[in-house]
Formats: sequence, structure tokens, C-alpha cells
Amino acid sequence: MITLSNIEKYYSNKGIKNYVLRHVTTQIHPGEFVSIMGPSGAGKSTLLNVLGMLEQPTYGKYEFMGEDVSLLKESKRIELYRHHIGFVFQAYHLIDEMTVAENIEAPLLYKKVGGAERKSRVADILDRFNIVAKKDLFPNQLSGGQQQLVGIARALVAQPSIILADEPTGNLQSTQALQIMDLFKKLNQEEGITIIQVTHSEVNATYGSRILHLLDGVIKEDEAVLT
Amino acid sequence: MFKLNLTIAWRNLWKHKIYTFINIAGLSIGMASCILIFIFIRYQLSYDDDFQHKQRIYRVVSNWKYLNGTDASQGVPIPLAAAVRTEMPQLEKVAAIQRTTGVLAALGESGEVRFKAYEPAYFAEADFFDIFNFSWLAGNPKNDLLAPNTVALSESAAIKYFGRWQDAIGKILRFQKQEDARVTAIFKDRPENTSLPLQVVFSYATFSQKNDKSWGTVRSTSECYVLLKDGVQIRDADAAMEQFNLKKYKDNDEAGRQYHSFQALSDIHQNGRYGNFAGRSIEKSELYSLAIIGLFLILTACINFINLATAQAIGRSKEVGIRKVLGSERRQLIIQFLTETLAISVVAMLIACVLTEVALPYMQQLFDEKISFSLLQHPIIFVFLVGLVLLVSLLAGFYPALIISGFNPAMAIKNKVSSSYAGGLGLRRLLLVLQFTITTVLIISTMVVMKQMQYMREKPLGFNPNAIAIVGLPGDSLSLLKHENFKARLLAIPGVEQVSLFDVAPSSNNVSESDFSLNGTANKDFQIRTMHIDLDYFKTFDMKFIAGKMLLKSDTTNSYVVNETFLKRNGINDPEQALGKLLTVNSVTAPIVGVSKDFNDKSLHEQISPIVMSSNHLDYYNMAVKMDSRQMVNVMAAVQQLWNATFPNDVYESSFVNDDLNDYYAAERIMGVLFRVFSFVIIFISFVGLFGLISFVTNQRTREVAIRKVLGASTFELLRLLNGSFLLLVFLANLIAWPLAYILINQWLNQYAYRIELNVWPFAAAMFISMLITLITVSLRSYKVAGTNPVDALKYE
Repeated sequence: MITLSNIEKYYSNKGIKNYVLRHVTTQIHPGEFVSIMGPSGAGKSTLLNVLGMLEQPTYGKYEFMGEDVSLLKESKRIELYRHHIGFVFQAYHLIDEMTVAENIEAPLLYKKVGGAERKSRVADILDRFNIVAKKDLFPNQLSGGQQQLVGIARALVAQPSIILADEPTGNLQSTQALQIMDLFKKLNQEEGITIIQVTHSEVNATYGSRILHLLDGVIKEDEAVLT
Repeated sequence: MFKLNLTIAWRNLWKHKIYTFINIAGLSIGMASCILIFIFIRYQLSYDDDFQHKQRIYRVVSNWKYLNGTDASQGVPIPLAAAVRTEMPQLEKVAAIQRTTGVLAALGESGEVRFKAYEPAYFAEADFFDIFNFSWLAGNPKNDLLAPNTVALSESAAIKYFGRWQDAIGKILRFQKQEDARVTAIFKDRPENTSLPLQVVFSYATFSQKNDKSWGTVRSTSECYVLLKDGVQIRDADAAMEQFNLKKYKDNDEAGRQYHSFQALSDIHQNGRYGNFAGRSIEKSELYSLAIIGLFLILTACINFINLATAQAIGRSKEVGIRKVLGSERRQLIIQFLTETLAISVVAMLIACVLTEVALPYMQQLFDEKISFSLLQHPIIFVFLVGLVLLVSLLAGFYPALIISGFNPAMAIKNKVSSSYAGGLGLRRLLLVLQFTITTVLIISTMVVMKQMQYMREKPLGFNPNAIAIVGLPGDSLSLLKHENFKARLLAIPGVEQVSLFDVAPSSNNVSESDFSLNGTANKDFQIRTMHIDLDYFKTFDMKFIAGKMLLKSDTTNSYVVNETFLKRNGINDPEQALGKLLTVNSVTAPIVGVSKDFNDKSLHEQISPIVMSSNHLDYYNMAVKMDSRQMVNVMAAVQQLWNATFPNDVYESSFVNDDLNDYYAAERIMGVLFRVFSFVIIFISFVGLFGLISFVTNQRTREVAIRKVLGASTFELLRLLNGSFLLLVFLANLIAWPLAYILINQWLNQYAYRIELNVWPFAAAMFISMLITLITVSLRSYKVAGTNPVDALKYE
């Protein structure tokens, strides 16, 4: 599904290159649950941003579902966002001016899903996540764990094939974090959604099927998680 | 999607209440001012616009070239109409119309006077109504306004004189106590916005001087209108008129000096040089300056909008980033932000309409005009409103929308959009400077306009206009006999201090000019202004002699008093030398017996004329009553009573000299009020905008301020830091504004013969005011930030 070959990313400052990613070459297949681990400054978030096409690598080739991303037009990339990629952020990033239901509905609007279907899909997902009672509240009226549930619901409602999660439990208490990780695992195993997460936590990483250890922008270890 | 956008827009506006309030307040006031200006300009442009042939209608006017200047009149010599009719084939119709003012009396069945009034009346040729299409309720000018002693009335005049217009037909209207005319036609009332406010129109055959043959006499009351033939270009008619002038004035005294030209109907209201029967005109330049002020207003309000929106954009960068990764196209984001702007504009427009409705009565009062504000009556106003909303939304919304929607999502989500990127700090500075340049120009202009007005109010005119009433006197032979006796009886009223009979007050726009000879040498370079006065004139108006004494007692001219300007223009330096010189005016030769100190005989727009004063009791149709200022009300009542008893067949008319003087400056008064109001509005908008902008800037710099505080900066140092850049910008705006204001205001002052000299004070004061308000605004806002606990500010990161 994803093929990275020799991805490099650096920032030049007065002729000195500061490498953030070096020689990153890997493949991610459909249905995998990959955790990217590493210390602060290892390039985890940058790698995720590259995967999410939010940043362009300086060198290297990135193929998403067989297409070379660097050649994609803006409109095509937006198409990918609408149909294939769901984002989950550490700070949830719900739109403060929208209610829970509206936040979840937003990607469907961009995907141009019809009104009736939108309603039923939003209702479905609210039901599945047990947040029907919260649907008319604004994000700042929810706890962190509830906000992240809404964030995941929003990522899922457009039925993406891959979810990119940047420290999804980083701001949460441990019990809430476990629930979220359980949810990810369930989505991966029961619905076959590919998940790539960045995490600091060894425990969280064990929920996945594979761990990429990153150090100073280089993949040091690519380990499979045994269950 | 649109509905959701609107909901989000609403929530966003509500969340940033202060920002919203500032935007809507500034915009709605700016818009209201714009609407008022638009309504006014539309009204002024609508003058004389309702005639079927308006494109082909022209007025013939007169012009003069003198050695030292030019002159112009709306009138033409009486024989001109007949002459152009036969000699200029380019014209389809030609019609003379004569204005006069007099006592009009409606007679009852048995010939008794039922109602009388002193009012303007017209004598018009029937062709006049072919040129101008009136609607007729009864009669037809083609048949009914040809014979002598026939008259047409407007509907409201007919009602006024005869009760019902249906009753007026066939009745008798008596003019000036001698001329009886039968009412033969009734026309519908003319709208207010006309230069031809006709109420009572006699047939031209009734006009006693219709056969006057003098080409040298031009009265502003004798106008001539023409209708060009279809397809004839005005330049062809102009060329024909040049030939006509050459031919008519070939062997004439007026050769080369007097000539006629065509003035388009649409120009009549917008050209004060010639004047018109309605006595109302507005210069194009005034309309332009109003339009420019309107543009400035809307520009300032839009600048607020842009500045605030781009400043606020940083706060919204997260939302933009999320929307982008959710699959929003840039176009959709732009539409979303424009929707917000549109929502604000529409709300502002609704408030502006309310404000306009509230302000309209005041504006009506100010301009003394009937201005209607009805969307249905004038669809163009509705179009303007919609256009204004769209213009403002685009002008104010498009740039911020473009900036905000262009954020890089990865940066935006992390709130790492720097303030300089979000809408170019440079651009925001530029806009701020532009805004304050406009504001400063207006502050300076307002102060100079106020100063010039004060100067005109306070300048000594050379006579004392206080507590003097001017009362009209009937000039027929019977009334003339009563003048002296009436004067004596007036002086007996307690509180009456002086009474003088004359034709014009010391300062008046009613000007009679004449050629003259001095010691037998005819003067061709300039004309003198003639005034006819009795012996108490100088005492009544408290005027001074610099040489000689008052006129000799006489009913007719047997001596002259001249003014200083007369001497200067004739090259006489010593006033004493002028005494005894023989002066010939209107073929009457008499010695100069006195020289008066100069007094302003016209408005301060104009230089003092060379004046020659003499006695002539036939011309005394005005009277000045100087009163004890404490008893004016009682005295005026007593004067009116005595007047009515003495002249029972005439209509009493009076005015105060001070009011007449103020009338000269009606336009300045209006300009003054407009300048004050609009500069206040612009100052308000600018500083409210500055307040909003500073709020955002200080919010962004909260962290910087906190760090500086931890490092040991005092509150005062922080205030100086935050104020510095703004004060510099406002100072820069002042520098740009000064030369601009200087050029504009000098231009304006140049229209006055008597004007103040520009000095540095209004400029310095404008700078002081703008800097002070900036300082206060910035300090108020930043004091709070400077006072916050650094721990709270630094915790966020």
C-alpha cells in the first residue's frame, strides 16, 4: 500500500544540512498496524507528516497505492484525503466552533455525501462509539478521552483505508489511553483498516503488529510484534 | 454546506464579540454615511431629469469678457428669443420665460380680493410647454396660454388661491394690483427637484415689456430655453451661436464683450455660475468631494476589516489546517471565509439602513431639501445597497480569505503560523498608514474649514448688521407718496432707532451695474455698482466716511458718494482730491461729495466692488429699521402692523440683515457640518480599528511580553515597546497627510477673496490629536497585557 524508497529530509541553514530523515526505505502493507517509536527529535512526526503528504521529502520516492506522491496534483491529493486517509492528532484538533455531530459530519461534506446518508453515517458512528448523548456538545465541554473518541470517529466516518495517528494517547490518562488503543486494535483486526501511529509508549506499541524504531532520522530496527 | 458555513460564521462572530462589534460598528457607520451621501448625490443628479426631451433642451445664457475678469448671467436680452427663433435653423423650438415677483390676488365672484400673497410669477411663451412636457389637469397651453391676460396655475397654487383646482378655471387672478388674468389651465405640481419651480404662469402676451428692443440690458429674470432639432449636434448649434453673436453685436457698444452660449439642461442645477429660477444649485466639485469622502469612509472601514481579519487569522489557523486534512479545497475555504465577511456586511448593512433612517431628518434639515429614502421609489438605491455589500465583502474579505486559506496545513495545525506570514505585517502597516493618512487629512481640513467659517463670521464688514430688519416697500406711484410719512411714523415707535430707505442693503447679491464717466472721460475698463440711498443710510448701518460728507438732500440724484475701491480703481490716491470731481452715471452728472470707508458689499467670496451711491426716491423699494436689540420682537410686530395699515393692498415681507448675511454661507455651513460629522466618523472608525488591531497584536506578543518581564522589564518599558511601532506609523501617516491636506485645503480656500492664511497650527494639532489618541488606545490595551503574570502567559507553550 505504501512504499518508501530512500526518503531523505533535511533543512539547510547557512549551507549546513540538518537531516531529519535519512535513507528511509520501507513498505507498509494493507491491514498492518505499524508503530513508529523513538526518542524526541528522532523524526517520528516528520515521517508521519511525509506519509500524510503534509510535508514533502527532499529526496526519495513515495508511492501511495501505486502512485508517486511527488507527482500528485493538489486536487488529487485532496481526493486521497477525502477517500483514503484519516488523521488522528495528539491534541485532538476538533474544530472548536462545531458540535460533536458537526465535527464528525465535516469530512462527509467535503466528500460530497448526500444529506440522508450523512445523517445515518454520523448516527451510526455516534452509536458505535457510545457518544450519542454528547452529539450536540462543543469540544470544550468534553474530557480529553471523549474528544479523542470524537477525533477517531471523525477520521473513521469517511471510511478511510488508512489512519495516521500522531501520539493519539499522548494527552490522555492511562485508562483512557488503553481504551483508545483497544479501539485501534479492534478497528485493525475486525475492519482491516491500516493504522500507522507515532508513540512514545512501549505498551501502546505492543498493540500493533510491527514497530519501526527511529533514531536520528534512520530506521534502526524493524521488528514484528509477536502476539 | 452553505448553511453550515453560516452557522459556523455566526458562532465565530459570537466567540470574538469585540472583534465582531468593532467590525460591524465601523462598517455600519461607514456604510450609513455612504448611503446618505449616495442618496444626496442621487437626488442632486435627479434635478430636471423628468423631461421627455431632456437631452435636447438647452438654455441660452449670457457671458461678458472684461479687461479684469468675466461675468455671466442666466438671463438674455428680451429680443434674443425672437431673434434666435428666426435666425437659427438648428433649433426646433425657442421659448422665452420671464420671472417676476409681486402681489398676486385671487378675486371672488363679485370682484373682491379673496386671498393675496407676495410670490414669484412667470410669463412664458406657449412653446415653453412643447420643450418641457408638463402634465395638464385642465386646459392646454397651445390654445389657452396664447391670449393676453390668461394664466396657468399649478394644482397646489390653484388650491391655495381658489380652494379647489376645479373651481379655479375661469376665475380672475390679479397681478400687482393692476393686471387681471383669467385662469385657463391647470398643470400638475412639479417635483421638488426642479430648477423651474413654476406655480403661476401668465401668457407671454401679458408681459408688459415683451417688446423691449434693448440688447444691452440683461436681466437674470429673462431666460430663454431652446429645443435642438433631432439629430443636430450641440457643437453645430454652438458654431451658429458664435456667428449670431458676431452679427448681433457688430456695431454695438457691447461688441466683443457680451456673447451668448448654450447651457445643457443637466448643467443648470450643477453650475452655480449662472444661477437658476429655483435659486438652488450645487457645484459638481462639491458632489465630487462628497463622493470622495464617501469612498474614504468605506475604504477606512474596509481597512479595519482586513487588518482585523488577517490579525485574527492566526487564531484560526488550526481550523484551516484541520479542514485541509479533512479534504477541503482551498476554494471551499475561501468561500467559507467570504461567507463570514458577507454575513458581517449584511448585518452591518441592515444596521446602516436603520442609522440612515435615523440620520435622514437631520440631513434633510441640513440641506433644506426633500430627500426620500425609499427602496421601492428609487430602485437605484437598492442596487447601490446590494452593490455596496458585495463590494465591501470582496474588498474586505477576499484578501484575508486568500491569506488564511493559503496556510500550510502541517504548520497551521501546530499553530506555528507566524504573524508576519499571516497577512503580511508589511501590508497591515501599509493599510494602517493609509487609514491614518485619510484620517489626518480630514482632521486638518475640518479645522481649516472651521477657522475660515469663524473668520467669515467675525470679519468686520465695514458696517454694523446687528438688530436691523429689512422691510420691503411697494414701489407704485401711490405708495411712493406715502414713503416719507411712513418713515416718520415708524420713528415714533418706541425702540426704533433709525430708519433708512434705499434699494439695496450694504451687502447684497442684488447688483445693478453701470458704465460711468469721470470728469467727462468715459471708462470702458470696468463697471461700477450703483446703490440708491437716502440720507440716513450711513447712520442706520453705522458706516464711516474717510472724506467729505453725506449726499445733499434731494429726491433725485444731485450728488454722489463713492467708496475707497472706486478711488483705487480710478487711480486716485488722496480721497480729498476726489471731492468735487464730476461723475456721470446713467446720463446724470453730479459732483462727488463724499468718500465712504470700504465695506463688503457682497459675500466674502468676492472682492469689494467700486460703488457709487446717490439719492433717487423712485428706487427706494427697501427700508432698514434699526432697533433697540432688547425690544426687537415688539418692534417688529408694531412695524408690521403699521405697514399693513399703510399699504393695505400689498404683502408685508421682512428679513434680518444678519440672516441675509448668513445665507451667503449656506454652502459653507453645510460643508462645515459635513466635514465635522464625517471626520468624526472616520476618526471613530480608524481608532476603533486600531483598538482591535492592538488587541490582537498584544495577544500575539503575550509570550514575548512575559519573557521580557521575567528578564526584568518594567511596565513602562513594555508600554513603550508596544506603543513604539504604532506611534511611528501614525507619525508617518501625518507626514504623508500634510502636503496632501495643504494642497486640498489651499484649493478650497482659494475660492474666497477674503480668506485665512494657512499656518502650521492645524497641521500640528492634527498630529497631536492623532498621536495622542493612538497613545491612549495602545496604552489602554497593552497595559493589561503588560500587567499579566508571566507564569500564566508562559504556561501555554
